[in-house]
Amino acid sequence: MQIDFIAILPEIILTVTALLVLAADLALRGDAKQFVNPLAGLGTVAAIIATVALWGSERVTFGTMYVVDDFAVLFKLLFLGTLLAILAISWRYIAEHRFFQGEYYFLLLTSFIGMLLMPSSRDLIMLFIALETVSVPAFVMVGMRKRDLYSSESALKFFLLGVLAAALMLFGMSMVYGFAGTTDLVGIAAAISGETASVPLLLGSVMLVLVGFGFKISAVPFHFWAPDTYSGAPMPVAAMLAVASKAAGFAGLVVVAFIAFEPVADVWGPMLGVLAVLTMTVGNLIALQQRDLIRLLAYSSVAQAGYILIPFGLARTGPGAAVVNAAAIEAVVFYLIAYAVMNVGAFAVAIAVERRTGLRSIADYAGLSGRSPLLAMGMTVFLLSLGGAPLTVGLWAKFAILEAIAVDITLFGIVLAGFLVVNSVIAFFYYLKVVRTVWMDEAPAGLPQLQPGFNLSAVVVVLMVGTLVLGVLPGLVTDFSSVISIVAAG
Amino acid sequence: MTGHDVVFVLVGLLTAGGAVLTVTSKNLMHAALFFAVTLGGIAGVFLPLAADFLALVQIVVYVGAVAVLFMFGLMLTRAPIGREALDGQNRGLAMAVAGGLFVVLSTLVIGAFGDLPTAEVTGPRIDDLGIAIFADWVLPFEVLSMLLLAALIGAIVLARRETGESGEELTVTRIEMAQDRDPDALEREQAALTSGSGGDGEEHA
Repeated sequence: MQIDFIAILPEIILTVTALLVLAADLALRGDAKQFVNPLAGLGTVAAIIATVALWGSERVTFGTMYVVDDFAVLFKLLFLGTLLAILAISWRYIAEHRFFQGEYYFLLLTSFIGMLLMPSSRDLIMLFIALETVSVPAFVMVGMRKRDLYSSESALKFFLLGVLAAALMLFGMSMVYGFAGTTDLVGIAAAISGETASVPLLLGSVMLVLVGFGFKISAVPFHFWAPDTYSGAPMPVAAMLAVASKAAGFAGLVVVAFIAFEPVADVWGPMLGVLAVLTMTVGNLIALQQRDLIRLLAYSSVAQAGYILIPFGLARTGPGAAVVNAAAIEAVVFYLIAYAVMNVGAFAVAIAVERRTGLRSIADYAGLSGRSPLLAMGMTVFLLSLGGAPLTVGLWAKFAILEAIAVDITLFGIVLAGFLVVNSVIAFFYYLKVVRTVWMDEAPAGLPQLQPGFNLSAVVVVLMVGTLVLGVLPGLVTDFSSVISIVAAG
Repeated sequence: MTGHDVVFVLVGLLTAGGAVLTVTSKNLMHAALFFAVTLGGIAGVFLPLAADFLALVQIVVYVGAVAVLFMFGLMLTRAPIGREALDGQNRGLAMAVAGGLFVVLSTLVIGAFGDLPTAEVTGPRIDDLGIAIFADWVLPFEVLSMLLLAALIGAIVLARRETGESGEELTVTRIEMAQDRDPDALEREQAALTSGSGGDGEEHA
């Protein structure tokens, strides 16, 4: 069998980088250990180059198990870009807080290897292993603030719920395999559509698989771990869980739902739609009452997951379904890119503020505008964008969802759109509350000026510019996300 | 009823009995031993299905490694190994959930596969399995090795008593205090800040 090594080059580069990081950490002593961070950054840049080179090609390798198409490349670029930003905001935080640095970066890179594999996997076993490769290092990274019982508690919670989700998903997958006789996603779709009457067992196992992904993306009945885990984890890890790990969950969900389970879209579509409504409403209502910024961002990310689930609710099967499904996938991908840009930015500002003061309740952001205009500006842009204000990419992300709904208007679609609009209004309350605190409230006396490091400032500036530029010219991304549509539908 | 069926039923009963005793036994060590019986029973279930390679792997990995690890873990970590150690508060709820799940799943499975024609099972040849693992399935195989390495290193990181060695020269105590989450930490933090001790090292960009 011929292996297409070019197709898996980004993963190979990241793997080599991870091992190099581990070896470098062994060789370096004391303060020099922090220089594994630029090493990891270099590897990431190399992986980005290798991924960009794959754009436009369609490579299939390892049987039909591994497919690199534009859909996968777009997701891989999203993950690698996020990894670069997270490396930049991690540097000082990890170097100053007495973490095991080499191990931290090794685990981070390993987790991202799993993410890179996710959108390319066309096989249940491969998908499951990719998902576990994302999760297992994350369990450890959450618990890395070892002196802090709060961190240990959040790691344990994350671990137990993650394992439960993995068990449910694996059980569902095993029964899907028993039914279809193959783990190949296209083969499963063929086996399901070959069935005349719907089989309850099959629908049950489809639900189990989707529930497993529901945990990963913290959709509402399965969101309980998210706020506790985010607030107990080291903050760069919280950013990674909220953005990259969630995007990986969505990538897997898109692949499994729209390829393998496409013939039963009439069943899981409405179910995920209801889940979307629950997720955004509950997430936003709880976020309203948060006083801790990280918990607010956690519940806001739950709500955002609800928005991203809306296009899944539109999915259907039968004649004319391909157009609707393609539009839905496009909306999901665009929203995820926008979400990554603005949410990593918000976490970067939170890290900068906490780094100097060790505090992160929303009241402590009072007068941030005086203490660091850049961070205040950044926080404002990111939060307004998360809310969906005009001139930011957040508006276009919500617009993309409405566009997907408008492709073929149904009553359920209108209900979903209504919930989207109402929830956006609710969300503005708590985003604007923070913005008001940042600009209007007096800073408590004696707080020092904030001096974010070069890396972190660069990340904040780049993401801020990205949020605004994409807010004016969303075509920069939609041009790319529109070409991918055909791929995942087929 | 063929010989296969008899073996299958006997092994199944052994497995189910081991599983029930695992969750009902009050002594943690007994539970671990019954768990080993259950895992061995599952290996026995594979045998009449002509999956002898799988059965051997099951014995080597689960009975040989996982169950033994459990016991090492129990003995090395001074876990509570006594009669009163295991006392679930949610016994009724757990029974209801497990029973409900059993009924639902068996109904679904019988509904889906109950009327399929039976056939003589012939397992795949072991050399075919080996070729499949190291040809088509080599990617998941290699990814798993990376995953295991990550799990190993993660376990070491979490199990070690000390924290990382770098960052000592910085005034980290202040930051660690704030992380400790004890109720006074925030006040002490504020006091430290107002007394103007804000300027520690800025050397890392």
